[in-house]
Amino acid sequence: MSFRGYKEKIEDGDVVILYLSNNLHAIEVCTEIKNKKGEMVENVYQTTFGALKVKNLIGIEYGSRVELSKGWGHVIQPTPELWSLTLPHRTQIIYTPDISMILLQLDLVPGSIVVEAGTGSGSLTHALIRRVKPNGHVYTFDFHDHRAKLAQEEFESHGIADYVTVQHRDVLEKGFSEQVTGRADAVFLDLPKPWDGVPHAVDAIKAQGGRFCSFSPCIEQVQRTCEALTQHGFQDISTMEVLQTELKVSRRTVPVRDLTFLKHKSCDNPVEEKPSSDKSYVVGAWPATTPGHTGYLTVATLPPAFLKRKLPVTEAENGKSVSTEIEMKSDSDSEEDKLVVDESVL
Amino acid sequence: MVANGKKRSREYDLELVEETACLKDEIGIKSSGSDNRNIYDDGRSQKLTADEIYDLKSDSSKAADIVETLITNSNTFHNKTEFSQDKYLKKKEKKYFEYIQILKPNLRIISEILYKLEPTKVQGIRIDTLSQIVTMANLCCEGSHLLYDSGSNGLVAAALLNAIGDSNTGRLVHMHPGNMSQKQALLAMNYSPEQYNKCVSVNVYSALRQYYQGCDTNSSEKILEVGESNSLKRKGESVPEECTKIPKISETLNLNIEKTENRYTQEPKKPKWHFDNIEASNIISNKMDSLIIACKEDPQNIFMELSKFVKPGRPFVVYYPVAEPLQNLYVSLKSQSNVAALKLTCSWMRNYQILPERTHPEVLMNGSSGFLLTGYILK
Repeated sequence: MSFRGYKEKIEDGDVVILYLSNNLHAIEVCTEIKNKKGEMVENVYQTTFGALKVKNLIGIEYGSRVELSKGWGHVIQPTPELWSLTLPHRTQIIYTPDISMILLQLDLVPGSIVVEAGTGSGSLTHALIRRVKPNGHVYTFDFHDHRAKLAQEEFESHGIADYVTVQHRDVLEKGFSEQVTGRADAVFLDLPKPWDGVPHAVDAIKAQGGRFCSFSPCIEQVQRTCEALTQHGFQDISTMEVLQTELKVSRRTVPVRDLTFLKHKSCDNPVEEKPSSDKSYVVGAWPATTPGHTGYLTVATLPPAFLKRKLPVTEAENGKSVSTEIEMKSDSDSEEDKLVVDESVL
Repeated sequence: MVANGKKRSREYDLELVEETACLKDEIGIKSSGSDNRNIYDDGRSQKLTADEIYDLKSDSSKAADIVETLITNSNTFHNKTEFSQDKYLKKKEKKYFEYIQILKPNLRIISEILYKLEPTKVQGIRIDTLSQIVTMANLCCEGSHLLYDSGSNGLVAAALLNAIGDSNTGRLVHMHPGNMSQKQALLAMNYSPEQYNKCVSVNVYSALRQYYQGCDTNSSEKILEVGESNSLKRKGESVPEECTKIPKISETLNLNIEKTENRYTQEPKKPKWHFDNIEASNIISNKMDSLIIACKEDPQNIFMELSKFVKPGRPFVVYYPVAEPLQNLYVSLKSQSNVAALKLTCSWMRNYQILPERTHPEVLMNGSSGFLLTGYILK
C-alpha cells in the first residue's frame, strides 16, 4: 500500500526500498513467501551485507537504519522515481527525466483524466497516478494480456488501483475503449506505430481540447507521427529529447609542479624533479559513458472542438499574452472556406 | 493583428477571425527550381522598392495579395527550391499574417515564456529541470512541502502548487529572504483562491524566529480578537526588533518603514504576514514531506537548517545554476551519511525540426540547464 500516500511506519504488505551502500532494492514486506517447492517459508532477503528478516521491518519508521548480519542499510518509502529504478522489468521502461517532461508537457494536474498506451512495466503509470490523484484517473492499455494482468495486480498491491483502469486491448487496431471517448485531458502513446494511434487520440480527447505526447525511439516514427498530427488538426507540434547526466563528485588532490626556481641559479640542482606540493579540489566528473538516447518526445495540442473546423494548418505562435479564453485572431478577414482538416475525422 | 501608424509608433489592433489562412494554400506556386545555382545575392531580385512595398502594405486588405505581388515582382522566387520557397513564405507569413492565439495559462507556457524572456530572472531554471524538481521531490496532492526560493520569481512555487492542486490537503511553505515573496509566476497561473492559499509565503527569518522563539503563540485567539489593542501594541514593538535582527538585507530601513506602514493601513486587523508566520511555524513543527531549495545564496547552511524539518525517508531537491556549490554540499553530506541516494545531475534538452525530408535538430539549442542535487533524508 506504499504508493497511496505518505506513510510514517512500515506495515505488512508495503513495498520498501532498501538503500544499501549506493544500491537500491525493492522489497515486498510479507512475513512468508513460497519457496521453490511451493512451501511457505520465512521471508529472508539476501543482501551483500548479509540476510534481512523481512518480518522485522514491520512497525519501524521509514528512513530508519536496519541492521544486517554483516552491516546495515536504510529503508525508504518508495516514490515513483525510486520504483522506476527498482521495478521488475517486463519491457523497456521510461525513466524519470522523460517521465518528468511528459507530466509537464501533458499539462497534468490533480483531477486530470489521462490515457496511456501501452502500460509496459508501469514505470510511467505510477508517476501519472501520483500526479492526477485523488480525483483524476489514469486509463492504461496494453496489447499483452499477461502484462496487463501483472500491472493490475501491482497497482492493487500498491494501493493505487482505484486511480487506474488497466485494460488488455490493442488500441492501434481497436482504438481506446468507449469509457474514455471524449473524456481525456491528455493522451500518451508509447507504441511501435504511434501515427496509427493519432485518430484514436482525437476521439479520446475532450471537446475543450487537450494535450498529446508520443514517445518513440526512432526518428522515422516521429516523422510519420508529426504528419498524422498535422493531418488531424493538432497545433504546437514539437519534438524534443531530454537526457540526464549524473556527475561523479569526489575530492581530488592534484600535485603542483613548481617551475619558477629554474629561472635562477641555485646550489641544489634537482635531478629527480618531484612535484613540490599538493592542491585539493572538489570535482564533478562527467561520466565516460552516459545515456545518449532514450526516445524522442513529440507533443502537440488538440484545439477545442469549436476551433477545429476553423483551423487549417498554421504554425501556431504561442503568444506572449496570457488570458483565460481561447480564440483565434488575425488581421486578414476570413478567407474562403478552405479546410485542410479532413472533416471525416472530426 | 492589424498594424496601424508609422514604423516607430506602430500600434496593433486585434480582430477576431473565424478562420486563419496559410500562405501556401492561398498562393498557388507554379514552378520551383532544383537548387540555388542561378540565385545571386545582389540585392536586385525584388523589383519593388521599399516605399512601394510599404504603400502596398497599407493599401492591401489581404496579406496574400501583398505576398503575391512580392512574388510576381521577384526575379528569383521561381528559381528557388520548393523547400526554400516554403521558408520564404513562412518568413512573409510572420511579417504580414500576424495571428495571435490567446491561451489559458498553465505551467508549461508560463515556464517557457519566463525562460525565453530572461533566463536569469528565473535562476536559469529550464522547463526540463523544473519538471524534474517536481518529480524528484515526490510532490503530490497531499503532504506538507517546504520550499526555499530566492530568485525564481515564484516559478518553483507555481510548479509545486500546480502538482498539489486546488481541492486537496497538500500545503506548501514558501520561504524567501526578502520583505515580499516573488510571485510573478505564481500570479500568472491564475490559480483559484483555494489553490493559491495552499501556499504560505513567509520571510525565512520571521518564520524560523517564530518557530524557535515563539514570538506569538496564541494564534487562535488572535483571529477572534483582531482589534484587541494589547496584542497590537505588542506587535508594534516586535517590528523594529525584528528588523534589526536582519543585518544582511540591505533594505532594512525600507523593510521597517514598509512593515510599519503595512501595519497602519491594515488596522485594526493584523497584517497577513503575522498570521502566515504563525501558520508556517505550525506546519513545519509537524515536519515536512519534502524540501526544495532554489537559492542564490550558498545552499549549504540553508540545507542544514531546513533539512531538520523533513521527515525521515522523504526526498529533497536542491537546484543551483552552477555545479560547484552543489559539489561542496555533496561532499559534506556524504561525510555526514544522513542522506541516501545522493545524486548530482544535470539535464540536456534538444528540440527538433520535423519536416518531410528536412528533419534535423534545431539550429540553436540551450546548453544551460542548471544542476540538481537530489536525495532522501535519513533518520
